[in-house]
Amino acid sequence: MTRYPTTNYLEDLRQRYKDGDIDRRSFLRSVGMAGLSVGIVGLPGTSLAKEKVDEIKYHSWGGVVQEAMRRTGIASFEDATGVKVVEGTFGLEEEVLAKARAGQPGDYNIINSAGNSWYKRWMDAGFGVKLNLDNIPNAKNVMPALMQPFWDITPDGLSALPFSYGNTGIAYNKKFISEEQALEQREGLLINPDLADKISGHNDFQTRMWVAALQSGQNPNNIEDLDAVWAKIRENRSLVKKYWGSGAESIELLASGEVYASDIWSGRATSLIERDPDFGYVDYSKGYCWCSDLLVLKGSPVEVCEEFLNFILDTDVMIATAEAQLYPPSVDPTKVELTDKIRSFPNFDPTGTLEQFAFSDPFYWTKHEKDWKPKYARIEKGF
Amino acid sequence: MSETPTKRELRQWGDYLLNGFTFLVYVFMFAPIIVVILLSFNSSEFGSFPIEGLSLRWFEKLLANEVIIRAFLTSASLGILTALIGTLVAMMSAMALVRYRVPGRKLFSSLTIAPLLIPETALAVGLLLLLRSLGLPRTYMLLLIGHVLITLPFAFLVIQARLSGLGRTYEEAASSLGANALTVFREITLPLTAPALVAALLFAFTISFDNLTASLFWRPNGIETVPTQIFAMLKDSVSPEINALGTVMVSITIGLSLLAGAIGSRLASQAAAGPDN
Amino acid sequence: MTRAETSTKSRGVEVAKPWILLSPSLVILFCFMVLPMTIMGAFTLFLYVDIGVDAPDLGLRNWNVFFTDPYYHYAVWKTARVALITTVVCVVVGYVPAYVIATTRSRHRWLLMLLLLLPFWISFVIRTMSWIHVLGAHGAVNTFLMWIGLIDAPLEMLYTEGAVIMGLVHFLMPFAILNIFVSIESSDRSLVAVARTLGATPVGAFFSVTLPLSMPGVATGALLVFVLSAGSYVTPIILGGPDDFLFGNLIFETIMTQLNWPMGSTLAIALALILGGIIMIYSRYFGLERLTKGLT
Repeated sequence: MTRYPTTNYLEDLRQRYKDGDIDRRSFLRSVGMAGLSVGIVGLPGTSLAKEKVDEIKYHSWGGVVQEAMRRTGIASFEDATGVKVVEGTFGLEEEVLAKARAGQPGDYNIINSAGNSWYKRWMDAGFGVKLNLDNIPNAKNVMPALMQPFWDITPDGLSALPFSYGNTGIAYNKKFISEEQALEQREGLLINPDLADKISGHNDFQTRMWVAALQSGQNPNNIEDLDAVWAKIRENRSLVKKYWGSGAESIELLASGEVYASDIWSGRATSLIERDPDFGYVDYSKGYCWCSDLLVLKGSPVEVCEEFLNFILDTDVMIATAEAQLYPPSVDPTKVELTDKIRSFPNFDPTGTLEQFAFSDPFYWTKHEKDWKPKYARIEKGF
Repeated sequence: MSETPTKRELRQWGDYLLNGFTFLVYVFMFAPIIVVILLSFNSSEFGSFPIEGLSLRWFEKLLANEVIIRAFLTSASLGILTALIGTLVAMMSAMALVRYRVPGRKLFSSLTIAPLLIPETALAVGLLLLLRSLGLPRTYMLLLIGHVLITLPFAFLVIQARLSGLGRTYEEAASSLGANALTVFREITLPLTAPALVAALLFAFTISFDNLTASLFWRPNGIETVPTQIFAMLKDSVSPEINALGTVMVSITIGLSLLAGAIGSRLASQAAAGPDN
Repeated sequence: MTRAETSTKSRGVEVAKPWILLSPSLVILFCFMVLPMTIMGAFTLFLYVDIGVDAPDLGLRNWNVFFTDPYYHYAVWKTARVALITTVVCVVVGYVPAYVIATTRSRHRWLLMLLLLLPFWISFVIRTMSWIHVLGAHGAVNTFLMWIGLIDAPLEMLYTEGAVIMGLVHFLMPFAILNIFVSIESSDRSLVAVARTLGATPVGAFFSVTLPLSMPGVATGALLVFVLSAGSYVTPIILGGPDDFLFGNLIFETIMTQLNWPMGSTLAIALALILGGIIMIYSRYFGLERLTKGLT
């Protein structure tokens, strides 16, 4: 064990600091002493002993989540460790992968990544590290159901920890579509010819194929009749006014009355309904769930990153960021006390098992992505 | 005698027509600005119509938002440096290619405008691959020179058109009167190309300030420009602070352009007066 | 120093001078464009294995796909059409304000010119998105037309090819206007007066003097607008419907979404070659020489 004394000591110190047992000055001094002692003893393999890490880079989608995280987790991490967190944003995870591939190891340290298919992709591209969960005591609170898909991909050790989860479902305008109709038709709304030119959908091959598989009565994680899926996508396309590419765009299309029904991310649906109660949300006939995770990439100072993850997985930070982004946190609600606001999210699962939801099978989808993504791109353009 | 007033009338109507049409073009160009300005005063949480009430809250939030302010300062400094360097480099190239007999002149002209033809996505990835093979990191300098490359064709085309339109009569006249090369450049070439230089500076600045694709790829970690920041924010929602930022920038521009307009028209009138005297 | 010495020395300087002047731009162009594009050129020969994975297994398969797949030919054709319409609109509509600004005696003409660049100060993405509020079902135009009773139901303007072209025109017209303005402004206005005293009507003088003299600006402006609209990809994403895409969208998707760099660089280089080819043809038939007429 190389790192646990520092980590646990720091954790303990931080708790006392938060509880007001010690003032900031002595807190920081103690933190400094901890670092110093490790340095003097020179524990073998300790990165703090060998090289001082001044900063780590954290990249995310930005926005209100990032602000909330900066206020809470990042600020206390910087105070406790003296390591500066350089924040960056990206619009597409593909952009990060492209730059990481073209760049050098260590260009990126921790990114807010979009769930297990992306996890598989990063691991396949050789960007994985092995996190030592003993150094991340707060990882104990994370729902096992969210961790399992990551263990399936890298059984020898995780490179990421789940951060929050969300669903993709359907938002509809109650002025034109009744609640009963929505509950009955669900994804069928997106191929209802009565709604021609009043439909939108996410411009994403996996979402479109998932929906089309459900529409053609198939298991989305094991599609047997691929032609039927393409046919349903074409059917949907002929009725669509505009496919959306960002959460903001989906809200804009619905709120402005351009469309009456569309795929939507549950967090966006919450914000839309808060704004205008004329809108409703239903899950697909099989609830489509995904998670976002904090991914540590190869070439990073792993132990400092573990420390960072531990600070972010702190309950207060999880609650603050979840309330900002309107997606439930990855922590188990049976182990950790969450707020009423979080408990009211439409896809919040109080059992912590997520059993009523379906996750995409990363092995299945990444295996076929190479062929399906370009094929979908053509169909989406009417070709 | 009866014909002349009719002609004058016709001409007047022609002028009205042209001015009216020009006015409509300005209305078209300004439509999005008006929308953005209106929305920046909207008290609604969402950056869209309808206007729910007037409020200055987004301006307050903007001033408190360090990330956007920092992005704005980055974009502004990057734009100014790009404009200065880009215009200087373009002016040097244009002088060389218009005023001297350089072998392979056509090739160099084409090469200078080639960055226009290459999709930025490809250029951006290509440069990153080059950096990797050389083991170099992404730096602010790289982003700056990248921006200079992207703005170079615009600045070059504007300056070159002006230089070749001028001919070299005035310069030859001046040097035959005994002026040395530097004096000719300072007293004749520079004032005469001033309108194009101003145009090139403005072009380069605005293109750099508004560049998204290349900046996304080339910026070093932790550096955001206004467009990359907005692009990242879009994922979440269009914050009305962005509209407020737009309004602030338009206000600054109108102030600056009144100033630059005054300087510009003085320069132009000097340039017009210069050769005659 | 004698006169003869000076001239020998200055001759040497005279030969070196253009190269000194050219060197900064050549260095930048070489390091930031020629070298990167050479690497991308090599990539066109690579084999795409999987998302983000490729192998240096040299071959012309990507080019073969480009030349045989009608999907790409359709995209080229569609892009050419949209870019051409955008160019014609920009140049024809933009000529008028350029002419008015260049010929006005107002002291504020520089201000008029600067105002045209004002929209650029609002970020491109936001500017393009603001058209949604203008053209949408509940946007400014529809609300107004319904209010004055001209129409009963909102017109479908948003998410069409028309909206995409309009967005491109809005983005690119300043380029056309600025170039035309510079060439009218720098042309010798006394020639118009000469034509007038020789009996030409104002319209006649315009067509025989002003228009031909402003052709370099028109040519440059048209070229810029065409090339920039052919390479754009953000406008169709924001203002277009499912049918509206340009070649730039295919490049962006192939490189960014599918992470297929071999095919992506093939498409990118193909677009650059097509545009380069168009410029060569253009210069042969429309005399790009006008552009560079002062060179000799």
